[in-house]
Amino acid sequence: MRRQERADAYEEFAAARAGHLYRSACLLTAGDTHLAEDLVQETLGKLYVGWGRLSRVGNPAGYAQTVLTRTYLAHQRRRSSTERATDLLPDLPDPGAPGADTPLRLTLLQALSRLPAKDRTVVVLRYWEDRSVEETADVMQVSSAAVRTRCVRALGRLRELLGENLDEYARP
Amino acid sequence: MPNAQHSDLLDPFEERLTAGLHDAGNAFETDRAALVDAGALKGRRRLLRRRNAAVVGSAAGIALVGVGGALLLPSGDPAKARGSAATSTLASASAPTPVSAETLTGTLEHELVVGRGGTYGGFTKIEARGTDEGLSPYVRLVFDDGKGAAAVSVTMDRIQPGSDDARQITTCPGKAFTHYDACGTSRLADGSVVMVLQGYEYPDRRVDTKWWNAELVTPQGQHVSLNEWNAAAEKDSPITRPQPPFSAAQLRKVAASKIWRDAIDAMPVNSNSPTTPSSSSTGAAVSVTSTLRTLVPKGLAVSEAGDPGDTGFGYLVVDDGKGKTLVQVNVQADMADVEGELFGSDAEVLADGTKVATHQGPGEKGGTGVVMWTVDTMRPDGSRVVISAFNSGAQDTAATRKSPALTMKQLREIALSPKWR
Repeated sequence: MRRQERADAYEEFAAARAGHLYRSACLLTAGDTHLAEDLVQETLGKLYVGWGRLSRVGNPAGYAQTVLTRTYLAHQRRRSSTERATDLLPDLPDPGAPGADTPLRLTLLQALSRLPAKDRTVVVLRYWEDRSVEETADVMQVSSAAVRTRCVRALGRLRELLGENLDEYARP
Repeated sequence: MPNAQHSDLLDPFEERLTAGLHDAGNAFETDRAALVDAGALKGRRRLLRRRNAAVVGSAAGIALVGVGGALLLPSGDPAKARGSAATSTLASASAPTPVSAETLTGTLEHELVVGRGGTYGGFTKIEARGTDEGLSPYVRLVFDDGKGAAAVSVTMDRIQPGSDDARQITTCPGKAFTHYDACGTSRLADGSVVMVLQGYEYPDRRVDTKWWNAELVTPQGQHVSLNEWNAAAEKDSPITRPQPPFSAAQLRKVAASKIWRDAIDAMPVNSNSPTTPSSSSTGAAVSVTSTLRTLVPKGLAVSEAGDPGDTGFGYLVVDDGKGKTLVQVNVQADMADVEGELFGSDAEVLADGTKVATHQGPGEKGGTGVVMWTVDTMRPDGSRVVISAFNSGAQDTAATRKSPALTMKQLREIALSPKWR
C-alpha cells in the first residue's frame, strides 16, 4: 500500500472508530470521561505508529479494541500499584447538566464502577463488544476459565446492585 | 452490535444488561476530530523517538510498534517515577496555583504577536485545557498575522527526569529515518534541554507542509512540546505561508516560557503519570545495532548505524560498492499473542518450533522504486526478530540499486542467529 493510501486509510479508520472506542472506554472506566479520552488518545497514538503493519491485520477495528482494553488494564495495574482502593465513585457526569443522563444510565454506570476493573472489562467485552468468552480471554490474555469465573461473579454482583432496575429493557 | 447467535444464548438479565450497556455507552459523545488529532500527535512523538537512532538508551516501548497492544505499554516502576516527579515539582512550588485554559491561550497568543515583534494577529479554532481538569493541559489554535494561517500548539506533561524517554525526546532523529532541514539540541542555563526540529509533516515530503517542533525537558521532568505548521492544520490543509510563524530561536525561547512549567507543576500528580522507560519488554538486553554489525556479511562498508544502546531496534546503512542498503532489525519479547496475525498458516516452522515468514514487496515510505525484503521470525517462547533490508540508504529516498545488498538467505540467517537470544 502506498504511503498516501495508508495515511488516508489511517485517518479514515481513526475518524470512523474514535467514537466507538471512546464509548467503549467510557464503559470500561465506568463513566470517567477524562480517563476515557486519554485512553483513546493513547490507543490511537499506538495505531498511528503501527498503521503500516496494522492495515495488513485482518480486523483493525477488533485490534484497536484490543489495544484499548490492554491500555486500560495496564493503566489499572499502574494505579493499583500506587493507590489504595477506595469506595469513591469515579467522576460521573452531572445528572443536572443539560442533556443529562437518565437515572437508569447513571445507575448502570455506578454499578459498573463497583466492579473490579477486570470484571468490568469482562462485562464490557462480553455484553457491549459482543465478544465470545474465548475472544474475551484472548483480548485480556487470561484463560477462558478465568473469563467465565469473572463473568459469573460480575453478573451476580450486577444483579444485586441493579435488581429490577433493568426491567425497562425487558423484551416485550 | 449484538450478534444473533450470541444473543440467543443470553438469559433475560444478560439481555437487559446488553441493552442497558448499549443505551449507556451510546450516550457518550465527544469531539472525535480532537481525539484523532491528539492520537496522531502522540503517535508522531512515538515515531520520532523510534526513529531516533542517536541516543543511548532503550527504545523498548517504541520498537514494539503496532503489534501486541499490551506490550506497547511502558513498564517499570511508575510509583517511583511519579514520586520523583512529584518531589521535584513540589520542591519548586509546594502549593501550585492552577493555570487556566485562558492563561495558556493568552500566553501563546502574546508570544505569537508581541513575542514576534508584531502588533496584529488573528486567532481561530482556539482549544485549550487548563490544569483544573485533571488531564494534561494544552492549547492549540490557528494564528494568522496576515501572511497565512498557521496551526500552533503547546502540550505539557511530565516525564521521568534523566530517563531514556527524556533523552530521546530531546535528541535529533537519525537522518536515515526522518528528513528535516535542521535540528539542534541545546542546554539552557537552568539545565533544561531543548531540541528544535525543523522538519516536515510528511517525512516523504509528498506534501511540503512544514512541521517545526520544540521539545523541552527540564531537570525536574517537566516536558513542553511546542508545534507549528505552515498550514492551518497538520494534515489535509493547503500550505499558506513559506514558514511557520516562530523561527527556530523563537521556538526555543517560547518552549522555555515559565508559564508552561507552572501548568505542569499544577497538574495533579496522578494524572498523566510519567511513563518509565524500561528495557524489560524486549527481553534480553543486547544492543541490536551492535549485534547486527557482527552478523552482516563481511565486506560491507557501514556508513551509518543506529543507537548502540537500543535493545529493541537497530539499523545499519551498508554498501557493497554498488549502492547503499538500509538494514533494520526489531527485537521483541512476548509476542506470542499476535503470532496468528504475523505468521499465517503458510509460515515455515523449523524443527525447534521457530516460525519464519518472508515478505518481498515495495517499500512502505514512498521512496521511488524502493523494495523492502523482510524475514520475520518468532521463537516458541514468543520472542520475535524481524529484519528488513531496502535497496536504498533510507526508506523514503529513491532506490540506489536494484535489490538490497543482502539476499533473503542472508537476512534469514541473521534473523535466526542465536546471538539474539
